[in-house]
Amino acid sequence: MYFFFQIALSGIATGAIYGLIAVGYSLTYMTTKALNFALGMWVMLGGMLTYSLIVLHAFHPLAALAIVVAALFALGIVAERFSVMPFLRAGSDVWVMSTLAVGFLMIDLAEIVWGRSPTPVPPLLGKNPIYIGPVAVLPQQLLIIAAACVTFIALDLFYRRTLLGKAFRAVAHSGETSSLMGIDTRRVQAVSYAAAAALAGFAGFLVVPLTLAEPQLGTVLGLKAFAIAIIAGLAAPRGILICGLAYGALEALISGYFYTGIRDILGFSLMILALFLKPEGLFGKPVEERA
Amino acid sequence: MTERGVPWLVGLALAALIILPAFVPGTYYSFLGIVVFIYGIVAVGLNILAGYAGQFSLGHAALMAMGAYTTALLTKALAPLPFFAATGLHIWFGVVLGTLVAAAFGALLAFPALRVRGPYLAMVTIAFGWVIFKILQEWVSVTGGDLGLSSIPKAQLGPYLFDTGSFYYVVLGLFVAALMIQRRLINSELGLRILAIKHSEIAVSSVGINVYRLKVLVFVISAAFAGFGGTLFAHQQNYVSPDNFQFFSSVFFLLAVLFGGAGTLMGPVIGAAVLTILPEILQDFDKFRLIIYGCFILLTLYFLPNGVMGLLADRKLRAARSKMGPTVVGAKSPGNLPTTVGVGLQLNNISKSFGGLQALRDVNFRVEPGTIHALIGPNGAGKTTLINVATGFYPLDSGEIVIDGRAATVRSLHDAARQGIVRTFQTIKLFGNMTVLEHVLVGCARHSRAGYFDAAIGRKSARNEAARNLDTARELISFVGLARYENVPANSLAYGHRRLLEIARALAVRPQLLLLDEPAAGLVAEEIHALGHIIRQLRASGITVVLVEHHMELVISISDRVTVLDYGVVIADGPPTAIQRDERVIAAYLGTPHAAA
Repeated sequence: MYFFFQIALSGIATGAIYGLIAVGYSLTYMTTKALNFALGMWVMLGGMLTYSLIVLHAFHPLAALAIVVAALFALGIVAERFSVMPFLRAGSDVWVMSTLAVGFLMIDLAEIVWGRSPTPVPPLLGKNPIYIGPVAVLPQQLLIIAAACVTFIALDLFYRRTLLGKAFRAVAHSGETSSLMGIDTRRVQAVSYAAAAALAGFAGFLVVPLTLAEPQLGTVLGLKAFAIAIIAGLAAPRGILICGLAYGALEALISGYFYTGIRDILGFSLMILALFLKPEGLFGKPVEERA
Repeated sequence: MTERGVPWLVGLALAALIILPAFVPGTYYSFLGIVVFIYGIVAVGLNILAGYAGQFSLGHAALMAMGAYTTALLTKALAPLPFFAATGLHIWFGVVLGTLVAAAFGALLAFPALRVRGPYLAMVTIAFGWVIFKILQEWVSVTGGDLGLSSIPKAQLGPYLFDTGSFYYVVLGLFVAALMIQRRLINSELGLRILAIKHSEIAVSSVGINVYRLKVLVFVISAAFAGFGGTLFAHQQNYVSPDNFQFFSSVFFLLAVLFGGAGTLMGPVIGAAVLTILPEILQDFDKFRLIIYGCFILLTLYFLPNGVMGLLADRKLRAARSKMGPTVVGAKSPGNLPTTVGVGLQLNNISKSFGGLQALRDVNFRVEPGTIHALIGPNGAGKTTLINVATGFYPLDSGEIVIDGRAATVRSLHDAARQGIVRTFQTIKLFGNMTVLEHVLVGCARHSRAGYFDAAIGRKSARNEAARNLDTARELISFVGLARYENVPANSLAYGHRRLLEIARALAVRPQLLLLDEPAAGLVAEEIHALGHIIRQLRASGITVVLVEHHMELVISISDRVTVLDYGVVIADGPPTAIQRDERVIAAYLGTPHAAA
């Protein structure tokens, strides 16, 4: 039984990372109906920057965190301006390609700057596992779970309590009406995109000690996070955390008890099934369009 | 459709492609040609989906893999049998089966992914590509894992084995066939419907077409092209591995479509050719492959938003617009509408709320067949909601819909249209740059019996039907007075003409009851007068008309009966003259003296 908990707990930590990335898709989808298709590359960039700052330049982890989040936010503003905004008005989905193109650039640039070989990054709170009963858990994993929970609570408060958060929700509902009410729709859209990028950077910062720093770090993470966002519902941030944790645990159990190779195949098939049964997501409400 | 100057150019290019190999020594260029043609076939399939129907897929490499691996496994298994070794039939079985398997997987993917609009399809296809890639890697006993499958039989017909030089002509022929199929498809009635969903899915379903099924069909057709290309790829390379079908290849195909010109007949050809040949030239820069592609994608999207072919087509379209004369009021020459048996509509005790807002509260609404029934009320009274509920656009909270005396369930907009109830929209929903005639033909599609395959093989019944529909469409266009704009793109029509076009399109469905949602909004006095004339003629032909309108003069002058809604409740119902004097109605519109105090 302890094997079960052991695996499930480490799975939940991975799931918390998925949730953090997945909510980034939700952020931009709600305000622009557009997504950053290369969000995984932004996670990678966050991870590589973390590696650069902590390992190569011996920054304090908290300083590194602040720099990573700020840098990705700023880059997000720039990327939105050049790779999303020009195409939103065109009314077609070409931003799918432009956001991917930015991701391609990032991978190759990362390979040029940091090389292809995977490098370890030391965990923030040491390498010695903590024992909860017989179950061993890495401090980094607990940190990730805690960080994800705090982030989601903060996001919830942001949406419900702050003026900007309410503006986000208003734009999500109707961009046109919001701009008539004096909300700077453009700014909300840009900020939501940059916030998703910053969250991806945060996820990269948290996950890189568990994986390795390498340019391919984020590709699959980004894809799985999207599967989770769809299963939960792109417009349901709370559901995304729950689904993320559950998905992480389930995935770890599949690898633990069956076979790692089948893990992603099952996960994505689950997404396609969920989409078929409940297109608006397990936690989403059906949207009624207007005529 | 806009590429008129192109045919002789295409002929010239084709002649060059046939003759050139005879003059070029070695097999390198023939080989390159085969690759371009194969990628071209896949790109044509993706163009039908992404270019014409506007649905982006980033999983076409995986669909191609389905075709390639299917034929590889089948032909390798059958090759030792003497019958097949002698006839080469296993190759062509493999090609057919591979195409079908890809199409089947396309359906499996499209059914869930297309239930939702937006970017879902693109992302789900990425995930699908990943799953297929993983399966190819992991299922070693069947797929050979990372090493892939080798010694796949070469293409063979009877005892003749194709080498690169002769296979070139086979693939060229198939490639030209693929282009012709695309052309036939796009120029068919089905093609018009496909074009229309890119512009407004709601409007397409309002003329009785099941948009979801149509999109799935398009995806399946597109997947079949990809699978077909994959089978040819397998027999050309004689070796397939997961690396051939990575995510990056899917991006390659979509880029080929966008670069060449999404939604143009020859665009995917140009895209596939340039993108296949460019890396051959830039081999030295392979280290920066992703950077080069990333920049190429961004530059294409910025500077060639409509692709290479789009540049040419744009110029012609602009010329067409400038020739348009000044706008005149329509409906001077009423064509003869066929007589219709109008149906009655009853909404019994219907309610509908959105969250805390009750838009309709226990509303009873009864429309007699063959009458003009106006529905009026201040803004926000629930008029449009009532139309939405009656046409299945919103589900009912409670209550009953009775059509033609029978209790009916209306599940969706297209379901309503199939039951004879057709609507227009307060905010005009047209199909972008499609012409006036094409709009009305999409409306006619509802009653077409011939399928695409009848049209593709040119069956006589299909041709007759197409001719009949063309006649009907022209009559309707002249009925609303737009005859001289038949070939004008809808987005360059004057506002009033757009309203009339929407009515003509709705009439093409042969409605028994027509719901007009504020048809006079934004029209000038003359146009409103003409509109009134048109609506009266509709009644004369037998059609029941429900008119949601603010323009009181129009309402009073043409309606047989008027129902007034206010805050989701019916406050008056009767002949127009009575409504004009009704105190509650006057109060609802002007406010009561008490309310001001």
